[in-house]
Amino acid sequence: MPKFDVDESLVRKLAGLLEETGLNEIEYEISDQRIRVTRGGATMIAAAQAAPMAQAPAMAGAAPAAAPSDAPPAGAVLSPMVGTVYVSPEPGAPPYVKVGDQVAEGQTLLIVEAMKVMNPIPAPRAGKVEQILVSDAQPVEYGDVLLVVQ
Amino acid sequence: MSDRLPRLPSFYRLVAHDRIDSTSEEAKRLAASGAVEGTLVWAREQTAGRGRRGRVWSSPPGNLYVSLVLRPACAPGAAAQLGFAAAVGLGAALESLLPAGAGMLQFKWPNDLLVERRKIAGILLDASTGADGRLDWLILGIGVNIESFPDQTSYGATSLRDVGAGAVTVEQVLEVLGVHLLRTLDQWRREGFAPIRRQWLSHALGLGERIDVRLEQDTLSGRFVELSDSGALTLELPQGERRIIAAGDVFYPAL
Repeated sequence: MPKFDVDESLVRKLAGLLEETGLNEIEYEISDQRIRVTRGGATMIAAAQAAPMAQAPAMAGAAPAAAPSDAPPAGAVLSPMVGTVYVSPEPGAPPYVKVGDQVAEGQTLLIVEAMKVMNPIPAPRAGKVEQILVSDAQPVEYGDVLLVVQ
Repeated sequence: MSDRLPRLPSFYRLVAHDRIDSTSEEAKRLAASGAVEGTLVWAREQTAGRGRRGRVWSSPPGNLYVSLVLRPACAPGAAAQLGFAAAVGLGAALESLLPAGAGMLQFKWPNDLLVERRKIAGILLDASTGADGRLDWLILGIGVNIESFPDQTSYGATSLRDVGAGAVTVEQVLEVLGVHLLRTLDQWRREGFAPIRRQWLSHALGLGERIDVRLEQDTLSGRFVELSDSGALTLELPQGERRIIAAGDVFYPAL
């Protein structure tokens, strides 16, 4: 079986397109390789040789044949969109959270702005802020790890 | 306060206040407790009106302050399209109120409205994403300078009265806005972003020209070459490098 190299930048691009267009699924096929990106609770990435997969019903119990090598760590909070991230409500104000803070589920951790849409990023669960991987006013891509809450 | 409430299409559920902290804050509170799409918070005066990044939106009586609850069930990344749809709808509404001879109405990226290069209206959106990763609600906040405008801004400002629209009232502006906004929101639902983007581009100020974009810690100068399919500004730097910008303040060099 030929080695299937996951083209991470392609997967990211497709994931971004999925996000932008609001579609639930994008499939991209070239020669014998096929990448399908679907939207679920989390973005699932399935990649396989086209031929055997072609007959397989969508998602039917097939484990992903490949996963991105930089799979986000447990507790990672991902950017839901392309934008600019802010760590505080306004310039000069204290940050929403600091490393080591205990946060409640739903508590605002950061803001991502895109075209004057302000998107508060809520804590997906209660826990402790282990890592903050972005700095104030940094551009972020769809799927970038913003911080880690354990 | 006159007792006559504005007449609006049935899509809207008007919640009118004489005075409130911020119509967007109130709309957020209502949305969080289940307010339906179309809930429209209107105040004659705001005590804590706000703009981008903690800026104050001057909110004396005489101007329009409204915030609309939307529940578009789209991905968070698509919400920006609704900001452009709102700008196009608001632009059509204001154009219909401008007297003959007033300067052309134009958009400053992403969704400010200018007349004669001075800001007459602004839009700010607040989103909330649900556990499923979809938008739970989106608050579309709109401010229109009708009787007055702040004179101490880093950009020029103006008002409908100042550009010669005469005795137009807040109620009249709200009624006209209600119709045009609903029309562009419907168009977005039916046809997507493409027609909205086209209309926006036809009134864009500075397209193809050199502009400055003030970021949080930096200012970039370059040519405004394109509006991306997601609504981001594409800036071509002097060395030819292209930057895709999702957040910043655009300034136009003096004529």
